[in-house]
Amino acid sequence: MATAMDRKLWARWQEEIEKSPPPELPATTVSGVAIDPLYTPDNLDGFDYDTELGYPGQYPYTRGVHATMHRGRLWTMRQFAGFGTARQTNERFKFLVDKGQTGLSTAFDLPTLMGLDSDDPRSLGEVGRLGVACDTIDDMRQLFDGIDIEKLSVSMTINAPAAIVMAFYLANAQDRGFDWRKMRGTIQNDTLKEFHAQNEIYFPPEPSVKLAIDVVEFCAHHVPQWNPVSVSGYHIREAGSTAVQELAFTLADGFHYIDQTLERGLDVDQFAGRLSFFFNAHNDMFEEIAKYRAARVLWADRLRNHYGAKKESSWKLRFHAQTAGCTLQDKQPEVNLIRVAYQAMAAVLGGCQSLHTNSMDETLALPSEHAVTLALRTQQVLAYETGVTNTVDPLGGSYFVETLTRQMSEEARRYFERIDELGGMLGAIDRGFFRREIADAAFAFQREFDAGHKLVVGVNAFQEKDEKPLDILQIDLAVEAEQVASLNKVKRDRSAADLSRTLDAVRRAAEAEENLLPSLIDAARARATVGETMHALADVYGRCEGAVV
Amino acid sequence: MNEQAPLRIVLAKVGLDGHDRGVKVVSRALRDAGFHVIYPGLWQAPEAVVRTVGDEDADWLGISLLSGTHLTLVPRIIDLLKAAGLDHVGVLVGGIIPEADIPKLHEMGVSRVFGPGTPMTDIITYLRSEGSRTHA
Amino acid sequence: MLSDLLARLEEKDRLALARLLTLISRGEQLPEISSAIGTRNETTPVVAITGNAGVGKSTLVGKLAEYLRGEDKSVAILACDPESPLTGGALLGDRIRMPSRPDDAGLFIRSLAAASGHQAVAEHVDLMIRLLAKFGFDVILLETVGAGQGDTAVRELADVVVLLVQPESGDELQWEKAGLLEVADVVVVHKADLAGAEKTEGQVKELLSLPGSREIAVLRVSSRTGQGFEALWEAVMAAPRRGTTLDGRQLLRLAQQLLADRYRSRGAAAGPIIDRWKAHQLDESQAAEQLLDLLVR
Repeated sequence: MATAMDRKLWARWQEEIEKSPPPELPATTVSGVAIDPLYTPDNLDGFDYDTELGYPGQYPYTRGVHATMHRGRLWTMRQFAGFGTARQTNERFKFLVDKGQTGLSTAFDLPTLMGLDSDDPRSLGEVGRLGVACDTIDDMRQLFDGIDIEKLSVSMTINAPAAIVMAFYLANAQDRGFDWRKMRGTIQNDTLKEFHAQNEIYFPPEPSVKLAIDVVEFCAHHVPQWNPVSVSGYHIREAGSTAVQELAFTLADGFHYIDQTLERGLDVDQFAGRLSFFFNAHNDMFEEIAKYRAARVLWADRLRNHYGAKKESSWKLRFHAQTAGCTLQDKQPEVNLIRVAYQAMAAVLGGCQSLHTNSMDETLALPSEHAVTLALRTQQVLAYETGVTNTVDPLGGSYFVETLTRQMSEEARRYFERIDELGGMLGAIDRGFFRREIADAAFAFQREFDAGHKLVVGVNAFQEKDEKPLDILQIDLAVEAEQVASLNKVKRDRSAADLSRTLDAVRRAAEAEENLLPSLIDAARARATVGETMHALADVYGRCEGAVV
Repeated sequence: MNEQAPLRIVLAKVGLDGHDRGVKVVSRALRDAGFHVIYPGLWQAPEAVVRTVGDEDADWLGISLLSGTHLTLVPRIIDLLKAAGLDHVGVLVGGIIPEADIPKLHEMGVSRVFGPGTPMTDIITYLRSEGSRTHA
Repeated sequence: MLSDLLARLEEKDRLALARLLTLISRGEQLPEISSAIGTRNETTPVVAITGNAGVGKSTLVGKLAEYLRGEDKSVAILACDPESPLTGGALLGDRIRMPSRPDDAGLFIRSLAAASGHQAVAEHVDLMIRLLAKFGFDVILLETVGAGQGDTAVRELADVVVLLVQPESGDELQWEKAGLLEVADVVVVHKADLAGAEKTEGQVKELLSLPGSREIAVLRVSSRTGQGFEALWEAVMAAPRRGTTLDGRQLLRLAQQLLADRYRSRGAAAGPIIDRWKAHQLDESQAAEQLLDLLVR
């Protein structure tokens, strides 16, 4: 930025800063990046407004993917919900819609996420605990009963068994008379980050990616408004990565999905516009904002210049954000409300398309209705009272934010090169690269915390002696028995012949390397369970057990 | 050289939750503090945990849980330890445990519960002061 | 205490076995344990698995153990990971990649820390092997920390040394530089499902066909697909066994270890000798003689 600077005034400031005592705590971001006391035009050597910033809704989208951003249309306030049985979650969905929520987001329980049925011995104690149990299409029908899924957009967080759950959703929607072509929503279906961080793993990496791409391909043809992958950095960050690692690994995952989908013979513009992203909104406000801005720039550049996408919608990185669960504390839990509010502001200033704000009690249990309401109110205050939506990208042109945005893009590019050197995505996974990088970063943060260089309010600073515990939601242990009973009923009532015929077809399709969605939809209608279908696929794909470091 | 022998601790992730950030950080911190840490990986069944503790002749077992299944899985592990003749092994629990459940875990025989935000030095100091009941 | 453990060992008490391994690893009561166990049961094959970091040693050991269990052979695994030279701490993670069979009495896994700079396996492993053989395991698998230093020690401990290599993309093969092929009785090209496995196999065979080389089996194995384990075991059983001849070296090694342990426990007594040596009142060999006297006494 070639602004003339008065060097005399600058020198005087330099003198003063050198005389003054250094900061009490190291001036680093939460990721450990050193921050200068002041940013000036000197930091932005050769900065060009048109190529580096441009205009919102235009390449390279640094300032946002829409011309008017939140001034024209607010982000979607989408709170993740799910617990117990499908009936209970269905009630919570209706409650949230009543409170003004504009999209639904489904959390499944751990057995479902791991591809296990509720009656599997490994599921003991986990059924319906951290999300809703979904064993068969019957549960899916109950989950969205009475909800107009052509009007509301629906998001489902599921990965290893994503293709199966998508088949449940599509079969149920069709049975209820909804038009696939009108349905909007997102399925997370991001298997790569499971290998990096989240560990919901069933098949080895290669067939896992193949299944994910089946969903991408099928949706491109039949469910055109659906986002078939939500490329997720959220969990990478929760596992302890730095902001740059979250950014770089997530985009690298996205590139891998594109490469694999192109191999199916699709044109990049047929599907790239429907790939969406999911990022963490962590504590360090400016680092987070720079991360979102850099993500848009890197994605647009790669799509336009490397993949040769022609449609502008293919260049645009749209993202959902969730405030960082790992920053919530069980000490003085009301303080979490304040953390969440600042994190949410970072996501909004960074141009998110949708947002989940965590509830203050989420480290302790699933959120209570009171806590969920406050979390949603936090977004409403941000949207309607703070004025941050009045202009687009209010931080654009800040010497600090632009410098950070540049730095993050450069560091992410260096990570892309390292991944290539390790043999690409699967080679780097095989060598444990991502897991090692993330574990190193997590350990580095812990040392800073232990040394008192990073303070966490209420935990290693400003503690209180006598804390009042919050009222938390208790999960009824009867849920497990109820779910297992209804699963048993399904197993009794269905046709054994239909079941084995459709599961055989799934195996054959997997062997023939065909797209699995048509056969999975048939199996869903034959009321095959998630676990049974995963087993059938494992006969062909093998399992990935234990090899997680 | 008895006193200098490093304490052996098995750190186990039980149940289905895959959140291993905490257990990995603790593993490294204990290693750096001179412990021998045996980490058998994710999704350990209670029976497998007890087998590992026995074969490795561990002084301590640290159970990491973040999915809320502690009241189901911890008592099972403790019962199996007793049945295997391993009741001399000290048991720690790490993870998200509601305040109200901590006394219940102590009653079952858990020595200490370490929640989120625990400084690593707390765990290290505790283990050093307790030493080993296996090799007393 | 020890007699109790040894009596329980006779009754196949696993916890007694585990405790005795701990005593051995700490260098405690070695002569007593050693004489109670007697000489090694020579029919139990001891197979060392070595290779560079990342080549998949733990995974292969785990899969080989599963194969052997399928053949109804009981298996004991000693899995070594490095110990920090500064703190003495260790992170022992080999079990992650090994089978979890809590109900199977025929599989035993022990994780061991190997002092860095010492050798590729933990101290006193020879005695542990004798103990495990006496307990009655059919096969003993020894996983090293990594290839390189200490390979000669592995060669003395094991009957058969299996060296793992993996398909390499670079022109220069790392293990060739390290001269590792000299150690191996069987060479496995691991991760054989990856591209380039056949080429690597060819390169290894070419290297081994140099005039004067020993007869060494080279085969491809994939832990991912399960390919090659039967052939691997056949090759292991067909390889000429190293450990069958008893000689003075084994005793010398034990004596060296005993001395090292005594030095550690009686280190303080050696202080005056060291001081006099530092003050040049003793030359190096005189000081060493006096130290030896002190430790032998």
